[in-house]
Amino acid sequence: MNDLVLIRQNLRRQKLRSALMAVSILIAFAIFGVLVGFERSMNAREQAAAADRLVVVNKINFTQPLPIAHYSRVRAIEGVRQATHLSWFGGYYQEPKNTLIVTAVEPETYLEVYANDYDLRPDARAAFVRERTAALVGETMAEKWGWKAGDRIPVSSDIYVQKNGSRAWDVTIAGIVRGRTPHIGTNFMVLHYAYFDETRLFGKDTIGWIALNTVSPSVNDRLAKTIDRMFANSANETATDSEKAFNRAFGAQLGNISLVVVLIIGAAFATILMIVGNTMVMAVRERTREIGVLKTLGFSRVRILRLILGESLMLALLGGLPGLGLAALTAVSLRMSSSSLFSALVLTPDIALTAVVLMFAFGLVTGLAPALSAFRLKIVTSLGRS
Amino acid sequence: MASLVLQIFAVTMINLRSIPQRLLLSISTVFAVALVVLVLLGFLAMANGFQRTLTGSGSDDIAIALRGGSRSELNSVVVRNQVNLLAEAPGIARDATGRPLISAELYLVIDAVKRRDQVKANVPLRGISREGAALRKGISLIEGRMFNPGANEIVVGQDVIGEFEGFELNQSITLGTGRWTVVGVFSANGSVFGSELWADAAAVQSLFNRNNVFQTVRAQLESPAALAAFKAYVEADPRLKLEVQSEAAYFADQASRVSDLIRRLGWPLAIAMAFGALAGALNTMYSSVAARACEIATLRAIGFGGIPAFVGTLCESMLLAAVGGAIGAAATFVAFDGLTVSTLGGSFTQVVFSFQLSSTLIVRGVLLALLIGFIGGMFPAWRAARMGIVEGLRG
Repeated sequence: MNDLVLIRQNLRRQKLRSALMAVSILIAFAIFGVLVGFERSMNAREQAAAADRLVVVNKINFTQPLPIAHYSRVRAIEGVRQATHLSWFGGYYQEPKNTLIVTAVEPETYLEVYANDYDLRPDARAAFVRERTAALVGETMAEKWGWKAGDRIPVSSDIYVQKNGSRAWDVTIAGIVRGRTPHIGTNFMVLHYAYFDETRLFGKDTIGWIALNTVSPSVNDRLAKTIDRMFANSANETATDSEKAFNRAFGAQLGNISLVVVLIIGAAFATILMIVGNTMVMAVRERTREIGVLKTLGFSRVRILRLILGESLMLALLGGLPGLGLAALTAVSLRMSSSSLFSALVLTPDIALTAVVLMFAFGLVTGLAPALSAFRLKIVTSLGRS
Repeated sequence: MASLVLQIFAVTMINLRSIPQRLLLSISTVFAVALVVLVLLGFLAMANGFQRTLTGSGSDDIAIALRGGSRSELNSVVVRNQVNLLAEAPGIARDATGRPLISAELYLVIDAVKRRDQVKANVPLRGISREGAALRKGISLIEGRMFNPGANEIVVGQDVIGEFEGFELNQSITLGTGRWTVVGVFSANGSVFGSELWADAAAVQSLFNRNNVFQTVRAQLESPAALAAFKAYVEADPRLKLEVQSEAAYFADQASRVSDLIRRLGWPLAIAMAFGALAGALNTMYSSVAARACEIATLRAIGFGGIPAFVGTLCESMLLAAVGGAIGAAATFVAFDGLTVSTLGGSFTQVVFSFQLSSTLIVRGVLLALLIGFIGGMFPAWRAARMGIVEGLRG
């Protein structure tokens, strides 16, 4: 008889019990998939950071503006390959609760600096640069609101007001931006700084921060010091950091999300490990006599070991794989929800792969104790026990 | 009737005494339920602590005016002549000399380094008028003195010192070209103001080149009821494109955004984990019934009814769950209650708050545990009650 058939029959022996164990495994892996995906999405900014990119912000805090004159001075420094400036717009769509991540940028230099991060069709690129009221929208944001190239939409600001008293800026979507790697989030919109700066009531000739690519990551530290020294003791001192360090500090403002995620996943796995592990021990103990019979029939000890480990592995996969499926579905529905917190939540292949590895580990761990005791079982004792 | 009670009691005791035979399985159920309750209460205590810090900050007899459409102090702009117009508004309380009790304030963000992980985070620097401190209840200086008007002096909330480096008394802080000195430390009675730095509004204006520009205006009202008159005055004047609300309402809105989010994360997670624990409880109880099939059948044969078998099993399950719930609640209390953390609040700055477990929350956690125990016991109990005598004795 085929081992697989035996394993399947053993699992079917108590269908309800097997189903319950599979359900608890399913839930643990669903939690794993969603939370790890969430944690990755929160840290994605850090992972997506380019090694040769620096960010220059006001030393007091990055919410304080810099004078636009800083930009031309930074551009001219030796070692700066490309530079652009960005300004936080404080956007929302129709109602303040529909937050949009919108920045005002200088189109040509923006596309130069981020050329390796984002993918954009040449015609969309040309349309964006040409038209003063054009905007680019990231794929995730476009998907969420159902926007496509050519749409004309009002983008409101909860910080700025136009000179005519309006809070909304009308923009035309020139194209949709895609991230070149899965780590790069695309829940954002960029519009022309010139359009924004000329029409806003206050804050003229200030920018939010400067992003620049250096000629090589090895000059990063030296360049950062040069820039900060240049503006030292001026009214607008700067703090220059690598994009990675800047993004890490930004993410850490929310709190230690990774720690919370690890604790919850730990709790979920500890729970099923105890439940499933104990149940497997019990299930095998009930079969002591039968194992004795199998051994009498000539089943080798190794084959018995394999049968029981196979059973726990099968159970882990039967619960874990649908659990991953559930996690993927949950990720999609959360991404489409109104909260921008989940906009970059994806169950990437490497998370799925880690989960599958964990399923195997889990199956082996829960099956190990009962499998070993069955392995060691002597025929005489097993048949004697009732 | 009395005999039924006795029967139930007898069967329940048999059930409970037999727990040691399934010790590991029972412990794993208790453990699973405890972890579910721990996760739920951890999130709820966090949301509760954040909400209490913020709602404890606002009072009903303070009005706060923000530019229309800006949802937080950080995004608001109020100019000098708007402040002057507001000072004339009806409903504002005045001091003995007839000066209106209002405070035009700036709300800016500066960098501070967290003690815990040495990472830069946003801390609010608030420029306030002389009356500013008096417009907040429960503020008391615990070290040093108040700042002098016009001077580059800062007073620091107590929670800031606990969470961030470099704000102790007499420390000097460089902001732009100016050097500022910490001249006092205040306690804010657990309110959000304890996470703030305060300085003279005029000094902050000149530091940030914001002469004649403020962000919010706070006004002491004669009574909470005077808000309506104040509001009507502001709405009637086209020069005042401001939104007026009570400070309590403002902070309640700020609080709900973050704490609702925490709750929306906590409940689904706890419920998902509860399903896992439920599977464990069902498993344990089905094996309990299976292991005692012979006993149950014997009892039935000597005249016990089905109800005692049902109740006995249900009691065992609910007891295990209740123990798990109690352990979970106790563990939350030990691990989290009073734990001070900080996160980004509505105004894009760090709010320092503590996890707060309350009796209402504990009741919720224990109810969830009992629900797991109830459902996890009911189906096995049903099987126990309906078990045929002959099959039971044969097994």
